[in-house]
Amino acid sequence: MPKKSINIPIGSQHISLLEPVRFKFTTENEKIVGIDWDVGFVHRGIEKACTQKFEYKQVGYVVARVCGLCAITHSLAYTYAIEQLLGLELNKKIQYLRVLMLELDRIHSHMLCLSHTVENAGFEAMFMKIMNDREAIMQLQEAISGNRIQFDYISVGGVNRDIDKAIEKQILKEVQILDHKIDDLIEAFETNWSLSLKFKGIGVLSKEDAYIYNAMGPLARATGARIDTRLESNVMPHKEVGYETILFEGGDIYARNMVRLYEIKNSIQMVQNIIQGLPEGEIQLKVKGKPKGEALIRLEAPRGEIFYYVRADGGNMLRRVRIKTPTYSQVPTFIKIFKGANYADAPAILASFDPCMSCTAK
Amino acid sequence: MNLDTYKKKSPWILHYNCGSCNGCDIEILAALAPKYDLERFGILNNGNPKQADIFLVTGALTYRSRARLIELYKQIPEPKVVVALGSCTCTGGVFRDMYNVENGIDSFIPVDVYIPGCAASPELIIDGIIKAIDILEAKTNEKEKVKKDFT
Repeated sequence: MPKKSINIPIGSQHISLLEPVRFKFTTENEKIVGIDWDVGFVHRGIEKACTQKFEYKQVGYVVARVCGLCAITHSLAYTYAIEQLLGLELNKKIQYLRVLMLELDRIHSHMLCLSHTVENAGFEAMFMKIMNDREAIMQLQEAISGNRIQFDYISVGGVNRDIDKAIEKQILKEVQILDHKIDDLIEAFETNWSLSLKFKGIGVLSKEDAYIYNAMGPLARATGARIDTRLESNVMPHKEVGYETILFEGGDIYARNMVRLYEIKNSIQMVQNIIQGLPEGEIQLKVKGKPKGEALIRLEAPRGEIFYYVRADGGNMLRRVRIKTPTYSQVPTFIKIFKGANYADAPAILASFDPCMSCTAK
Repeated sequence: MNLDTYKKKSPWILHYNCGSCNGCDIEILAALAPKYDLERFGILNNGNPKQADIFLVTGALTYRSRARLIELYKQIPEPKVVVALGSCTCTGGVFRDMYNVENGIDSFIPVDVYIPGCAASPELIIDGIIKAIDILEAKTNEKEKVKKDFT
């Protein structure tokens, strides 16, 4: 008898999907043998708007609306590209404040991903617990920038708000508490038996495949591949503030969760270092002239490498803004992992990728 | 006892993202999580349009999402309340007049509550949902009145 395959569609509207994305899984006896994606539901045409509707000083706030989760990385990458074209030399204080916001954003994004992973594996109570712990970071972001999600904190030549002693004290206190909570979470993820059934050995990616299929971010670092833009680029002073590369072996969902947890701990360490050694200085430099030429910027977003290409010809409007986001680059890796996995594990595997469709479709 | 009596106490939400940047969507999650705890009003985020009472829409309506938005709206049984969450959903926001954006959902389906903000904070979301519950109650009463007149 010939084998029969069954097609299972998910989306574009589904309870476990936050975003409109449509999957078509082809399954044979619980095993996924084929997968088809449609990610274009969120396409809004941002790249065209950046060159035709908005001036170069406004575009930083527009590209932040590409994605609500890594808004700060998008506006940072664009702003660094423009500053490269203008030849601006930033002082230490601006650089450190930018790293501070980037790392706070990474903490809350990783925690959201962890909570989603455990929810899609069936652990509602742990989802609520992680979401509750995450609120501390959201409050810090609100205290620093004035908004919880879309900060609009970065401007060309500096940042829009300074932090004072009271906020510094609040940050140090809250991240100290969060550090202990993350320790508890690490213990739960390591020792909980039913969590290990859902996570250990599921959705495995080998180190060779990580290089072949161009994995990046926590997905690559969970296989032991040393891929991190923060290592290679000198755009931001990550090495000065205590950055360490977190690597794990295995490449399964468990390893991805552990990479995220230890990266949160590393980010907390960086935030503490920045607050304790914050130099004096201006927070906004004078911007003269108009951008002219080409610039390429790579930064490490919570999900992997983000890439910006900006071309300008000396006017108020830009000629071209090209955005390449981590989820877009990793779709081949996702398909590789899905093939051969059990269909019942698909939601947890998908959540562990931390995909961002609004980034992908722009 | 009929179903409408319980509906007032425990309205269920259907959430659809029709082109949002995820900012409003994670604020909905935050509103359902323990700190803001929208679930204390009996509200449950449900994926099935046939069981939903409040239609919570986020995002600038994109060209490809609009057919799905209308389809979901049609599948929700009466009485229903539509909540437009975030600046993009109300008017198109920063994406207004882009080639793939339809400038707000109210040109396609009737909207009862508009929640502003980019991203709308959980407090605003709770405020909007409370307003939606009142509107749902008014709509339910109206429906019952019509029923009484004709029986």
